[in-house]
Amino acid sequence: MGNLETITQKIREKAKSLLESGQAEVVIGYRAGTIPLVAAPFFARSAADCDQLVWSSFARLNLANYLPNRTEKVALVAKGCDARSAVGQVVENQFPKENLYLLGVPCSGLVDPAQVAAKEPRPIQRATESDDAITISGQGFSVDIKKAEVLRRNCRTCAHRTPTVANELTGPEAPAAKPDDFEDLKTLLAKTPAERLNHFKDLIKDCLRCYACRNACPLCYCPVCFVDETRPQWLGKSTDPMDTMTFHLLRGLHCAGRCTACGACETACPVNIKVREFNRVLDKTVQENWAYEPGLAWEQKPPLTVFQPNDPADFIK
Amino acid sequence: MSEFEPKVVAFFCNWCTYGAADLAGVSRLDYPPNFRVVRLPCTGRLNPKFIMEAFKRGADGVWVSGCHPGDCHYIAGNYHARRKFVLLHSLLETIGVEPNRLRFSWISSAEANKFQAMARDVIESVRACGPNLTFRKANLQLDLAEVA
Amino acid sequence: MPEYLVKESSLASFFQALTQGRRLLAPQGQGDNCHLEVSTGPVSLDYANTHLSPKAVFFPQTEKLLAFHKLADKPKPHQYQDLGDKAEPTVIFGIRPCDAKGLSISNKVFQNDRFTDPYWKGKYEKTLKIGLACLSPSPQCFCAAMGGSPFGEVGLDVLAYPKDKGLGLRTLSPAGEELIESTSAEKADLASEIQDLAKKAIEAQGPLDAYQAIDASKLMDLYQAKHWANTAEPCLGCGVCTFFCPTCHCFDLQDEANDLGGVRMRNWDTCMSQLFTAHGSGHNPRPSKVERVRQRFMHKLKYIPIKQDGVRGCTGCGRCVVMCPANIDIRSVAATMAQASA
Repeated sequence: MGNLETITQKIREKAKSLLESGQAEVVIGYRAGTIPLVAAPFFARSAADCDQLVWSSFARLNLANYLPNRTEKVALVAKGCDARSAVGQVVENQFPKENLYLLGVPCSGLVDPAQVAAKEPRPIQRATESDDAITISGQGFSVDIKKAEVLRRNCRTCAHRTPTVANELTGPEAPAAKPDDFEDLKTLLAKTPAERLNHFKDLIKDCLRCYACRNACPLCYCPVCFVDETRPQWLGKSTDPMDTMTFHLLRGLHCAGRCTACGACETACPVNIKVREFNRVLDKTVQENWAYEPGLAWEQKPPLTVFQPNDPADFIK
Repeated sequence: MSEFEPKVVAFFCNWCTYGAADLAGVSRLDYPPNFRVVRLPCTGRLNPKFIMEAFKRGADGVWVSGCHPGDCHYIAGNYHARRKFVLLHSLLETIGVEPNRLRFSWISSAEANKFQAMARDVIESVRACGPNLTFRKANLQLDLAEVA
Repeated sequence: MPEYLVKESSLASFFQALTQGRRLLAPQGQGDNCHLEVSTGPVSLDYANTHLSPKAVFFPQTEKLLAFHKLADKPKPHQYQDLGDKAEPTVIFGIRPCDAKGLSISNKVFQNDRFTDPYWKGKYEKTLKIGLACLSPSPQCFCAAMGGSPFGEVGLDVLAYPKDKGLGLRTLSPAGEELIESTSAEKADLASEIQDLAKKAIEAQGPLDAYQAIDASKLMDLYQAKHWANTAEPCLGCGVCTFFCPTCHCFDLQDEANDLGGVRMRNWDTCMSQLFTAHGSGHNPRPSKVERVRQRFMHKLKYIPIKQDGVRGCTGCGRCVVMCPANIDIRSVAATMAQASA
């Protein structure tokens, strides 16, 4: 039995026992998707439901997103980034710690369908996976692709694939990847302001302002988002490029020091915008200035809630 | 065509820089008239969307100024603001806002001379950047040919 | 209506003739990158469907409706000026039958015996629509289950299909007939071939189920069904489904103004957003995503059929199935609705 099946088995068993013992009223995990290369969020409330739970490398959303405002006791099937986001929700008082059971999944990185499509443009009817490869098939073809070649960008530089905080792990720790060195951003910063502006304008030129990136993000739980404010209305509703840019900038700023690089935003984006570019700029700033990584411990204080009298800020004259 | 006169939106803390502007005035220290002041209770009140709104509406520059660290009327408002500014500054600089369009300073209410010098410096550096064409909102540039 | 044949050797002159006095829009690119773009020559027939539906041609995401200016020295200051009909004669080649049917459904919303929307009307009536039938539907396609067909003719002026590296054509309207007569296409008898190909393509889509049960169910049984909370639970509330849907047509009117003047525009809106139904009083008749998700599926599968003589508001293009980040699949939802109301 491969590692994925073992994890799936473990999740089902544990989910059943948690529901039975009353430790959890709902287990939030994944079921197999109705289309290839997708796993769908699933809410298991009975033993029968639990048999639908699966673990796969298509589990790209961040399930911590479903925690805020929930009054039930929740067991969360959490890969490294989900667990960190869930810890963040607790730290930010969005979910009570005593209602949360983290069923941690050591993750070996998730598959990016856009990269699969780049390798195999023919319509895919079926996708199966083993521990290191996926097999995709369609009319008259069947192709194996190594997962390592089609991992999402954020998974390639994930330093916390195994949940750092969890009530229980479903398998042995996954080896961490080499952390993001921000090399591309450093190269970008060496360019002129006009070139940088063009880079970011080009990045968001297809944006439909559907806000899927915001809605998929476990950090976005404001009762009224700034884009929906009407008195005053800060953001125009049209496709004006500056309004779109403002949305992305402010979304990025709201996530600064809180983003766990889960990539749910990019997964949700229907036009494949690398929306995490904005977050990465800020991740880099947060790490350089305050050496902070969110969601690693219950006691952490988010960097924008604290300060040091001698915080560096040379640009303020 | 007349020489470009920059428009700068200035966000000043009520307890310090706003006072410094007053003191500069009563001290007869002359400074350029190119900025419109928005008075804040504290720089901690500054929401990044205010800055974006200023640029979107065509401001050529934005100047944020508050109390020196340690001098906050509300004890820690500007310490928190300083962390926000670090993020804002880094993000806007990375996406291509010229550094001179967005300026930050700490000026106490006694520092009328610093205020005068900073005001001149801010306006001259924004002047050097030229008009804000890239961060202005396109829809508000009415196409009058379309209308008439 | 008669059928025509365009041989491989005369494809170039065929497309050349289409552009005479009109702009030609055709799908360019592949996969997520396939969009309707202005084209001048032979177009690729090798695409599944455009990434976005063609509704944006008639109903752009942002459309200026009115404008005014405050400059006393220019004509007509302080008066709203209509920015309405600026449509140019257009021919779209390569609309899939599901999308053409979607346009015809929206057309009844924008033009009916009670209202006529001049902005939609101008563009819709100045555009000739040449469909491209699907010989082998994509895995997410289910047009046949929704009462359509990979060779569907609704909403089209001409239906084309790839034939021997050239095209087979069937004209469906007098305007379409006139257009094809102006090209090098030759008359041919393709009726039986079209029938065979259509049958094969429908069979490739698998069984038709569930939807008839919804048609037969009572409105309130569907509305009050218990499953909606579960159906909506994974929904992120993003509205991707509505932005990509060929029949979603809801919009929001916005005014933007400055010292010089202002414009009124309409933008795509989405019933998945809480703001969509928020009242000025603060009351919201669809306060949570449960009501919003129910609205979307009820609108597609029950309300539109009631208003449009049984034609379902979903055409089975499969875009929402592929795009939904949470994999809320309208096919599964329909099955659940059918079951719950049985």
